[in-house]
Amino acid sequence: MSRIIKLEVNGRVVEDLVPDNLLLVDYLRERLALTGTKMGCDGGECGACTVLIDGVARLSCITLAVAADGCAVETIEGQAPGGRLSPLQRAFHEHLGTQCGFCTPGMIMAAESLLRANPDPSEAEIREALGGNLCRCTGYVKIIRSVRAAAEAMA
Amino acid sequence: MSELLPDFTLIRPATVAEAVATLGREGAQVLAGGTDKLVQLRRGLAVPDVLVDIGAIGEMQGIAAEGAGLRIGAAVTLSDLARDPLARAYASVTEAAASIAAPGHRAVATIGGNLCLDTRCLYYNQSHWWRQSNDFCLKYQGTVCHVAPRGNRCRAAFSGDLAPALMVHGATLEIAGPEGRRRVALAEFYVEDGAAFLTLAPGELVVSIHLPAPAGPSAYAKLRLRKSIDFPLAGVALARTERGFDIALTGTNSCPKMVDFDVPFSPDDAYFTALEKAVQKAASPQRTTTIQPHYRRLAIAALAARTARALA
Amino acid sequence: MKDHSTIGRPAPLVDGIEKVTGRARYTADLADRDTLTARILRSPVAHGRIARLDTSRAEALPGVLAVVTGADCDVPYGVIPIAQNEFPLARDKVRYRGEPVAAVAAVDAGTAEAALALIALEIEPLPAHATAAEARAPDATLLHDDKPGNIEREVHHEFGSAEAGFAEADLIREETFSCAEVHHAMMEPNATLAEYDPERARLTLHSCTQVPFYVHLAVARCLQMDTSRIRVVKPFVGGGFGHRTETLNFEIIAALLARKAGGKVLLRLSREETFLTHRGRPQTDVRLKIGMKRDGTLTAVEAEVVMAGGAYAGYGLVTILYAGALIHGLYAIENVKYDGYRVYTNTPPCGAMRGHGTVDMRHAFECMLDRMARELGLDPFALRRANLLEAPTFTANGLMVNSYGLPEALDRVEAASGWAERRGKLPRGRGLGMACSHYVSGAAKPVHWTGEPHAVVQMRLEFDGAVTVLTGASDIGQGSSTIVALAAAEVLGIDMGRVRVVANDSEVTPKDNGSYSSRVTFMVGNAAIEAARALREKLILAAAEKLEADPADVVCEGESFFIPGAAQSELPWQEVVYAALAREGTLTEKGTFRTPEKAQGGKHRGGAVGSTMGFSYGAQVVEVSVDEATGQITVEQVWSALDVGYAINPLAVEGQIEGSVWMGMAQAMSEETAWRDGLHAHANLLDYRFPTIAESPPVEVHIVESIDPLGPFGAKEAGEGALSGFPPALVNAVADALGIDVNFLPVTPDRLLEAVIKWRRAQKRAGGAA
Repeated sequence: MSRIIKLEVNGRVVEDLVPDNLLLVDYLRERLALTGTKMGCDGGECGACTVLIDGVARLSCITLAVAADGCAVETIEGQAPGGRLSPLQRAFHEHLGTQCGFCTPGMIMAAESLLRANPDPSEAEIREALGGNLCRCTGYVKIIRSVRAAAEAMA
Repeated sequence: MSELLPDFTLIRPATVAEAVATLGREGAQVLAGGTDKLVQLRRGLAVPDVLVDIGAIGEMQGIAAEGAGLRIGAAVTLSDLARDPLARAYASVTEAAASIAAPGHRAVATIGGNLCLDTRCLYYNQSHWWRQSNDFCLKYQGTVCHVAPRGNRCRAAFSGDLAPALMVHGATLEIAGPEGRRRVALAEFYVEDGAAFLTLAPGELVVSIHLPAPAGPSAYAKLRLRKSIDFPLAGVALARTERGFDIALTGTNSCPKMVDFDVPFSPDDAYFTALEKAVQKAASPQRTTTIQPHYRRLAIAALAARTARALA
Repeated sequence: MKDHSTIGRPAPLVDGIEKVTGRARYTADLADRDTLTARILRSPVAHGRIARLDTSRAEALPGVLAVVTGADCDVPYGVIPIAQNEFPLARDKVRYRGEPVAAVAAVDAGTAEAALALIALEIEPLPAHATAAEARAPDATLLHDDKPGNIEREVHHEFGSAEAGFAEADLIREETFSCAEVHHAMMEPNATLAEYDPERARLTLHSCTQVPFYVHLAVARCLQMDTSRIRVVKPFVGGGFGHRTETLNFEIIAALLARKAGGKVLLRLSREETFLTHRGRPQTDVRLKIGMKRDGTLTAVEAEVVMAGGAYAGYGLVTILYAGALIHGLYAIENVKYDGYRVYTNTPPCGAMRGHGTVDMRHAFECMLDRMARELGLDPFALRRANLLEAPTFTANGLMVNSYGLPEALDRVEAASGWAERRGKLPRGRGLGMACSHYVSGAAKPVHWTGEPHAVVQMRLEFDGAVTVLTGASDIGQGSSTIVALAAAEVLGIDMGRVRVVANDSEVTPKDNGSYSSRVTFMVGNAAIEAARALREKLILAAAEKLEADPADVVCEGESFFIPGAAQSELPWQEVVYAALAREGTLTEKGTFRTPEKAQGGKHRGGAVGSTMGFSYGAQVVEVSVDEATGQITVEQVWSALDVGYAINPLAVEGQIEGSVWMGMAQAMSEETAWRDGLHAHANLLDYRFPTIAESPPVEVHIVESIDPLGPFGAKEAGEGALSGFPPALVNAVADALGIDVNFLPVTPDRLLEAVIKWRRAQKRAGGAA
């Protein structure tokens, strides 16, 4: 069955008819062409599809699109208003928190969720908050540094 | 494009009564946080016609004092549970909640969902192609348990972290069903059969979890290879009681299990050795993961003894 | 040499902004509404004959545009021209569970999956062999009729005389090591977008490859198309680590489907299917015998390596050659005997993976050095120092070594880790271990020898003052586009903002062999320097004309042209650009790189493998704490020094070293690919347990710069050399922590606890006897 959902995506209100069995990640990528959100696994294992739903990091590959009805969804594409990088985006760019870039959107969204709740996280808190976001390139060393750098830049 | 989900109708009841009525329909299943269920749907491990989303049921929300104890709505999320000030008196519970998966999962996964989490197995948590290539298995669509082919039951491992953590605090469940409401001790909620480990009747739903006042301090120890994401290879909860310790296991059997250990506490090595041996005896891990069962048994017993020493 | 204006300081990636904003488009992001969805039908059995394959019902299903099977392609492919024995879709026989048998392109995923279910496939099973030992057994069923004993390739090399070397030795030890099969698990699942225009008979592929040129050739061969009718584009690629250094079956299948459907097809594999495509490091057994003098000087090495290579040739013969060849090149060793066996097994084909062929061999070697040092009462550092090379030199097997920063790397990590003060003095359960490693900076002879230069870079001067660099080098996250941009900016003395890199579109960029064996910085970097110098030459000529000066006196620096100390005013960049374009119109210059003959290895059969222009050299110290009750190891800290020749971009060099150290850790501690009746037991990211951020250690990187005489600005490779140091350093640290030596990888807690229990029993017996 399909139903009409109304949600806010990156600050814009969207109304759409979607089937109940459509995953949010497919809705974002295929209907809205927001391909910044990635799929790296077969469900719930890698964090590449992390988006914010009402400000909290969630995995869009195990979230139904209809579950986002009435919510504010933020993706990586909404993080650079006016083309200017967010503090996290800038830090990931300048400190090489990204190599191949495939985990990066999810990683940045999970970190964004952390910094909104905890603007000055310790290294342990960063490790905890990003524990579900796998990266295969960096060994996470520069990811931790990037999140710390963003926190410092925002302080 | 991800794997296709089966074609289902999502229903979002506002009350437990509506939910129970809907669950009575053919092919209806509960959808809580969906962190495991939607993965199962993607792998063809469940083909529901109706998914009953319990997220809008007010009665299943909230954590509140109940006498000297606590009432926890079954739809409370793991992240809310982990940081709830009232729940902190039950350290095994908050520690177990905080140890589950990763923050993105805990933000939506529920306590009820974790208590009813489907058992897991190397031969079960696979794609349709994988399972079909292996003639499926006893748990689902097949006739043989590949873990114990000569046995007559499914050996999949119960892998929820919260069950043992709640069991050692004497939790009970309130269950709603077509026949009305009933209470059951959490320890009685399960049976040792990987394919049918819950004693929920058709149409029944866990509404809330009830904890008496804590008898003493408690803790949860989780054995896993990675410090995040992983399901437990084994998990053990311990609560200090007047007499000694209540101990419960997960990951080692097809249901969470209270350890038979009634030795009165004494602060010496012999006591902790006896405790360790009792855990070894209770744990019966099988070849449900690639990590050796014998190891899971020994290591969780060692962790249990260590945790007991720290709590004593 | 240090006097550079642009290079040598940390530079963010030139494509980093795309990556952090989500604008970077990877293959699966390129589909549009017209794109057909493809799915693959895979063999459910590990070995068998295809008795029946009937696709008629699938073809008849409305919405199905194409169905392909082995009948659609009878041309075998494989990255080594002399070892091509794989078909994109199985013909007659299937040889592993998961091998593609048929594929479908349909209007949507539901239709494609429904079509797969309508294909009738019957296979008569044959005995299957998942391990090298089973496959080598006398009564084993052959995977390939032309390969008796299921041996894909045997290697028997001897340099010097092992026998004579052992005769000179004071201490001889022999041990056997077993290392599990591992997989790249790059974050982006495999995907190819193929588009066929039947009117023009042209095919365009976008694919997540490290080697678009090889894909181009293989697809042309398999589809029997003229190469000029094919265009291959490499979009952003989410990592590779060797998985994508050869054409993979899904790329050819997507092309076959697009041609048959006459349209655009996206074939995106699931994570499970990506695991089944495999090409990782094979399960490897190493029997190693080492002889040394009392002072630690190596006198002889004898090694036998057996690799379970999977069902098809792939890179197999190169892997088995590498394992022997790179016994050399790290230390001074004259007497080396090597016997290698690459075995066919009924599992997905193995291939190249970061540290190709060398990691498991190096693991055994460095573990044994530590144990023998212990027996001789030598410090592990002292033992390594007793065997250093002196550059420039050639090794016994003919490998060229021009620069050698190992001594400094040893000094750096020894000091940084507090080795002298702390080693052996830590409480039980805590330990320090060290190891050395090295890796090639590109193979001196490519696997596909065309006689062309190894690398070509074109540089175009634009009317607007920009410089466009055209390169076929595949940036897969390692930062190769950044390296060519830096090289251009450095040589031309211009701002990085003037440089734009256009990479990997066969329609516009020159051919490049691709990103593997750490070749890009060395080869493409040199080609970029040469192209930039040629362009600078033209600009200087134009400037000299305007300045009425001798071109030899003109300096090009800081976006201006001037004569130092002279009265003439400086000419700004743009003015000289106009002048140069006025002289001859659009300027496109070219730079190439060829490897020198003497770098191409020994003259023996297989001698090209391992040959390179320069090796990176690494030393590493790992500190662990071990929980004896649970067998769990925590890596507390890693110190890793790597001689990279020169760090053109120190930020990227650090990132490469951190990443490769970490990948070594993952292989050492938790990663493995096991099979249950030929079915992959780790085909998802919960069971294939590479570390999360939670348990990944701090890595302190020390960059050593030996300034290689042939390297671009002196640079060598940085992305692989550190990897193989980690596993032995870890095992050596565990030995320091517990006094227990283990000979298996990965050192998972279950295996370690078993070893601890065995050791305790042995201690008890020894104690009881005493």
